[in-house]
Amino acid sequence: MHTQEVGKPMDIFIATLPQQIINGLTLGAVYALIALGYSMVYGVLQLLNFAHGDVYMVGAFIGYGVMMAFIPESGPLFAPVIIIILMLLVAMLGCGVLGIVIEQFAYRPLRNSPRIAPLISALGVSFFIQNAIQLTLTAQFRNYETEKLIAPAAGIDLGFARLSATRALVIVTAIVLMIVLQYLIKRTRLGKAMRAVAIDREAAAMMGVNVDRVIIFTFFIGSALAGAAGVLTGIVFTRVWHFMGFAAGLKGFTAAVLGGIGNIPGAMLGGFILGLAETFAVGFISATYKDVVAFVVLIIVLLLRPRGLLGARIPQKV
Amino acid sequence: MSQNKIGVDQWVEQYDQRVNKAKGLQGFIARTSQRLPPWGWLIVLVAVGALLPVITQNNFAIRIAGNIALMGTLALGLNVVVGYAGLLDLGFVAFYGIGAYTYAYLSSDFSGVHLPTWVSLPIIIVISALFGLVLGSPSLRLLGDYLAIVTLGFGQIFVQLMTSLTRVSLPGHERPVDLTGGPNGIINLDKLSLFGFTARTVTDHYLILLVVLAVALLVIYHLNRSRIGRAWRALREDELAAEAMGMPTRRLKLQAFAIGAAVAGFSGALFAGWQGSVFPANFDTTLLISVYAIIVLGGLGSLPGVVVGSIVMVAAPDILRDVTLAGTLFYVGVLVTLIGAIRPRWQTALLIGLVVVFGVIVRLIVGALDAQALAEPQLSNSLITNTVRSWLIIPVNATIIGNYAFGLLILMVLGVSRIKHSVWRLAALVPTLYVLIFVWETRLSQEPSVTRLLFVGVLLIVLMIYRPNGLLGQKRVEIV
Amino acid sequence: MALFELQNVSKHFGGLQVVSNLSLAVEQGEIVSLIGPNGAGKTTVLNLITGLYAPDAGKIVFDGRSIAGKDVHQITRLGIARTFQNLRLFLNMSIIENVMSAAYARTSANWFQIILRTPGFWKEEQHIRAVAEQKLAFFGERLVGYRFEQPAYSLSYANRRRLEIARALMTEPKLLLLDEPAAGMNPKETQEVTELIGKLRDELGLTIILIEHDMGVVGGISDRVIALDHGEKIAEGSFEAVATDPLVIEAYLGRNENMVRK
Repeated sequence: MHTQEVGKPMDIFIATLPQQIINGLTLGAVYALIALGYSMVYGVLQLLNFAHGDVYMVGAFIGYGVMMAFIPESGPLFAPVIIIILMLLVAMLGCGVLGIVIEQFAYRPLRNSPRIAPLISALGVSFFIQNAIQLTLTAQFRNYETEKLIAPAAGIDLGFARLSATRALVIVTAIVLMIVLQYLIKRTRLGKAMRAVAIDREAAAMMGVNVDRVIIFTFFIGSALAGAAGVLTGIVFTRVWHFMGFAAGLKGFTAAVLGGIGNIPGAMLGGFILGLAETFAVGFISATYKDVVAFVVLIIVLLLRPRGLLGARIPQKV
Repeated sequence: MSQNKIGVDQWVEQYDQRVNKAKGLQGFIARTSQRLPPWGWLIVLVAVGALLPVITQNNFAIRIAGNIALMGTLALGLNVVVGYAGLLDLGFVAFYGIGAYTYAYLSSDFSGVHLPTWVSLPIIIVISALFGLVLGSPSLRLLGDYLAIVTLGFGQIFVQLMTSLTRVSLPGHERPVDLTGGPNGIINLDKLSLFGFTARTVTDHYLILLVVLAVALLVIYHLNRSRIGRAWRALREDELAAEAMGMPTRRLKLQAFAIGAAVAGFSGALFAGWQGSVFPANFDTTLLISVYAIIVLGGLGSLPGVVVGSIVMVAAPDILRDVTLAGTLFYVGVLVTLIGAIRPRWQTALLIGLVVVFGVIVRLIVGALDAQALAEPQLSNSLITNTVRSWLIIPVNATIIGNYAFGLLILMVLGVSRIKHSVWRLAALVPTLYVLIFVWETRLSQEPSVTRLLFVGVLLIVLMIYRPNGLLGQKRVEIV
Repeated sequence: MALFELQNVSKHFGGLQVVSNLSLAVEQGEIVSLIGPNGAGKTTVLNLITGLYAPDAGKIVFDGRSIAGKDVHQITRLGIARTFQNLRLFLNMSIIENVMSAAYARTSANWFQIILRTPGFWKEEQHIRAVAEQKLAFFGERLVGYRFEQPAYSLSYANRRRLEIARALMTEPKLLLLDEPAAGMNPKETQEVTELIGKLRDELGLTIILIEHDMGVVGGISDRVIALDHGEKIAEGSFEAVATDPLVIEAYLGRNENMVRK
């Protein structure tokens, strides 16, 4: 069965491959950041946080707001670098706080309820955030005016591909954030506490870990990463609207499961793989089935490796 | 007072006496439900339901009732999957869509096939059940939460495919074939025809759907009171123990999954026949959340709960479309909630009084500061709304201020929920209620579709926290 | 031929060897107790027998057939039933329903019969109900009468244990595995449990393997005792023989370095 847009022949495939890889890594970076939040929260709470994608969306809007505040008609008020950093920081902070609020009000009361209760609550939160944004900010698309901060022509020409400045920014920022996260998890007491809570919450509590505090931190960090992902998406893909969290959230979700839910390196790997897969599918097969690719990949991987690529890290309770 | 018999639990033994003495609506329901056999309830349902077209010629009302019956049947299917077997199927609506599209393929000009409904329905049931088995088999083997995401993905894939498969090159055809009608769907479907009777009017469809709902309720009820029902409930209680007692859990889950899919497909076919068309947008996430809201509201695993939940979830938004009614309903709803939630009753009255006073003060202050900022209240058909609007301050740029007020409202509500029950809480509620009314008049009532979804979201959260068993669910004890 | 045998069964979790080259046999009609300190692997053995875990090595033979690697519910159907150390009742179901639910494997009403409520269906339902009432009646007056319809969470601890046994009995087992049936009971209840186990064998012809820490129960009812430590069998024989076995004493009480060894 072939679609109208016939798959491109092999030589074009090879020729555009490096460019597709760059594009795929850019997309993958965003997915990885979203996936990390999902994986971290699932690791400590065994909860699929459906509202996570909407936190990402809020981050994109916050970034938009900051950008617009500092770029009047005349042009940027400060150096672009500062504005971008500001956008990221404010969005990350704002989303981190949002994540904590969601956890405190919608999930914490359900800590001892059967598993389906926080899941449904999460659905409710997701719905609420989407529609609250739609109510207050309307369903209109907003577009990041990235060209005012980074010249569209900026970038490195590698000969076989072109690495635009925006794409480089996204990839580098994401990698930096992931490195910081890895350091946080592996080298700090908080990270150790997070890992302990993920393995056995009760035992961790008995060892003196303040489980509630750890969970709050986890939500903060995971949501902050999603917020960063939102801003980065705005910078590269420019369009933000109230419903963007849905698809992105699903894909981030898929990426987390792909790598093995609860598994931090797995989330990163899953994100990049998914970004590449989706870009390749769009480039070489057809753009129509873009959103479907994620799930097809997921289903194939889960059938072959039911625990995800790197194995899920969840407590076993027999 | 009976003698203390050794080994007899008095509290438990006096359970029946207590039910008889229970006051109020809950007591009445408990007593009646004990006395009336299930058959009786069904007859009541059908009889009352069938009276509707006799009482009123209002097609609008009958259409709502038809929707209630349709959504009720759909929710019934989901209830089996989620409420009985405990599987979180987030792609459930896709089976609804599969049933609908299959009906379109079997009974329309689009495909050229025109099977009468009583022939196509069994086919649709089988196909839907098959899809359920195909999706369920591998998925149920995965860790519990993975099922949620895989089914969610399936739901998305379905909508995506139905939107996109418009130019498919098939062998034997010169030009690409449109398989699904794309975003514009398939229209001009045959009407439902059962053994010579063709449904034409709204009433026809409503009666068909009513009977279908009743039959579905009966079938599920029978299944529930049998070895299969007991096995499902055991499965939901403790899967490991159920398996250890000889119940084939994986097979049971798959059966529940397939039944859910079959019921959904069946409902989808009826839907397609009634609407006369199918569009991919009919099967989106909003519908999924609505169906989940129905079973959660009614109580997972509760059959009458499905009916009640369906009435609330379908009737309310349909009623809300009428702006006048929406306003009245809102204020009545707020009043009822306050009366129900705040005791003693004199505190409720005090609260309302304080809010009124607060509003007057606000109005005076704003009027003194800048009289130009206030706009003339628009008159509506509702007495309550008019009264409120003349009391409330409505700024000229209502939308912008309303948006900020919405943000403020969220913060205030979250804050109040943290305050312990006391004078302070009551005091904090006064401005909160004022802002709520303000936000309603300036923003929420202006955007009914968004408001409805906001309401559903909040409802789900609040329900899970305060009443996880829904309106009619049994109080449950959970092993954590 | 023994009704049930473990032959050189081993099981490890990650780096930890929980059961190591274990062999034992149980004859029809025997009551065998499995004792050992906590962590000895006793519940793991039960889980291996009932199919919750698959052994890494060795054979498990029941009634002449190998059951290692079979599904849990299949093994139950073959005639092995169990109770749980930490009680796993269906708390929100009524007492009679808890028991009736376990009849699933022994009944056969199909969908058609259930939905249409055929006479065949009714007959089977009544049969299930009657048998369930009978199983509950085994425990005297405690779980009968108005109690049938009460939710299981309303039961006292001792009654919950009894209910679990009744539920297990409903699967018509040949071999019954009891995991610490006397845990948490006072002396009177413990005595009742001991007599109950005897009744189960004498009146119902069951073969019983029980895990217990209470030596009163073990000594009072066992035909044979098997002691485990660190996943290995360290003693087997009559209660007196095992209770005085130095390895067993050491496993429970530790070794006194200063004690003069005879």
